[in-house]
Amino acid sequence: MKRPGLTALLGLFGTIAGAHPAPNSQLRLEFKADVVLAEYWVPASELAYARAADPAGGFPAYLLRHVAAETQDGRPWQVVIGTVRESTYMDHDYLVAELRLAPPAGVPARDFVLVDDAVTHEVRNHVVFVTARHGEGAELLGALQYPARRLRITAP
Amino acid sequence: MRISWALALLLAFAGLVSNSAHAAGPVACRGKSGGAGNATEITAAFEKLGSLLDPQQKQALEHPFDYDNAIRWSNLPLGVVPRSGLRLGDLDAKQAAAARRVFVAALSACGLKLLDEIRLADDWLTTYDTRPIGWSGGNYFLSVLGTPGEATPWMLQIGGHHLAYNFTFNGHQPGATPLFFGTEPITFEYQGASYAPLDAQSTAMTRLASAIAALPQARLSGTFTDVVKGVVVSGVPGQMPTGGTDTGFPQSYPSGDHDRGVRVGTLPQEQRRLVRDAIESFTSFPGKSIATPLLAAYLDSKAFDETFVGFSGSPALGAKGSYVRIDGPRVWMELVVQPAIAHPENLHYHALWRDKQSDYGGEIRK
Repeated sequence: MKRPGLTALLGLFGTIAGAHPAPNSQLRLEFKADVVLAEYWVPASELAYARAADPAGGFPAYLLRHVAAETQDGRPWQVVIGTVRESTYMDHDYLVAELRLAPPAGVPARDFVLVDDAVTHEVRNHVVFVTARHGEGAELLGALQYPARRLRITAP
Repeated sequence: MRISWALALLLAFAGLVSNSAHAAGPVACRGKSGGAGNATEITAAFEKLGSLLDPQQKQALEHPFDYDNAIRWSNLPLGVVPRSGLRLGDLDAKQAAAARRVFVAALSACGLKLLDEIRLADDWLTTYDTRPIGWSGGNYFLSVLGTPGEATPWMLQIGGHHLAYNFTFNGHQPGATPLFFGTEPITFEYQGASYAPLDAQSTAMTRLASAIAALPQARLSGTFTDVVKGVVVSGVPGQMPTGGTDTGFPQSYPSGDHDRGVRVGTLPQEQRRLVRDAIESFTSFPGKSIATPLLAAYLDSKAFDETFVGFSGSPALGAKGSYVRIDGPRVWMELVVQPAIAHPENLHYHALWRDKQSDYGGEIRK
């Protein structure tokens, strides 16, 4: 449960963060023993430009076309899209997708190459921040901006 | 209309810009009011200012020249990204006049005009947007990183919401960048005078984009909702946002010929002149001592020929997502049209000048 003071402060920052018209994405990773769980926050305003360039299918199918994971030597991980919900953060609308990334058999879920251009294939200034969850906090692991679409991820 | 009367009074008091934007309407930025950007003159102006400040103010003004302090500029208002430095809105009349002498020593007439008009635009916004975003011409700051003088590298920073001057002296390279500037609103009225702070730059970029629009390779792929090499904000849902400063420095830049626009070396003379005009409109802000060697490097015939120019959206810059970019061996200049914040049905500009070699004078490393 949030502290009332923090809630009020976040409300204030939610208002003032609307002063930023180009919100970025955040992929929050949670490292488990044999899988990596991810929560992908994608701003609706920027996603709309990307979907206009690639409109086929629903959002889960679209994500599967643009998000992947693989071992350092190129073997694919299994990516499963779970629930998708709508949310708001800092005065912007987001789609929030739950992802499950599973390595090939026998490969530890600690080190992989993230492949992602879900928004960046279209929006040139857009940045995807990739973080590792630590309770309510996060550690920045790296970022992707066009033309980069591959990022090596190592569990902290 | 809530306008920073202190700012207008300061300019009248200082008497340093006889045809100040605040006192008597817009000025032609090629007037005589700007300075040379000479380090010795700026240092002298700083010494005078320092003698008028109390210890707390001096502490706010002076910082070490290191990565963390150098990248601490933003294109976001104070409510999103707090600034360090000496807040101009807190200065008394004598201090403000002394700070003005620093600006006059460092900035060209164009640079002074931009500083004045961007601060006025921020004041203008307070009338229409009462959210605690931090609009205010008083919310602009002056900092010095390192020790002003001729001996060692140091930086002068002047900035706030829609302006970031970062000038480096005695560095590996003359440093005028990163230089961010933007305006909301694009045009506004104050005391019967009209202002368009980025008129020269947007006009130059529009003319350039319009001239090359028919060339297929001039149109850049993708969509632009902001400048590409600017500051970015991140955040963990449920927590306060972070970033919003130049944490992406050092930047990587496109290479090769793909999707960079049209090569200037292939353009006819008239269009090359438009490229030169656009570059000069961006380099017009620092004093000549700062800008001249950079402009010479950009207009060097080989470098100029190897520069690319491209655009996206409307060449007339009349719609959100319109974007123009100049991308050379050293120079990186971009201007984008975004929805306005206070009046979302309107538009506003963001623009950025970077130098691939001499951002921060080539002096800082991550």
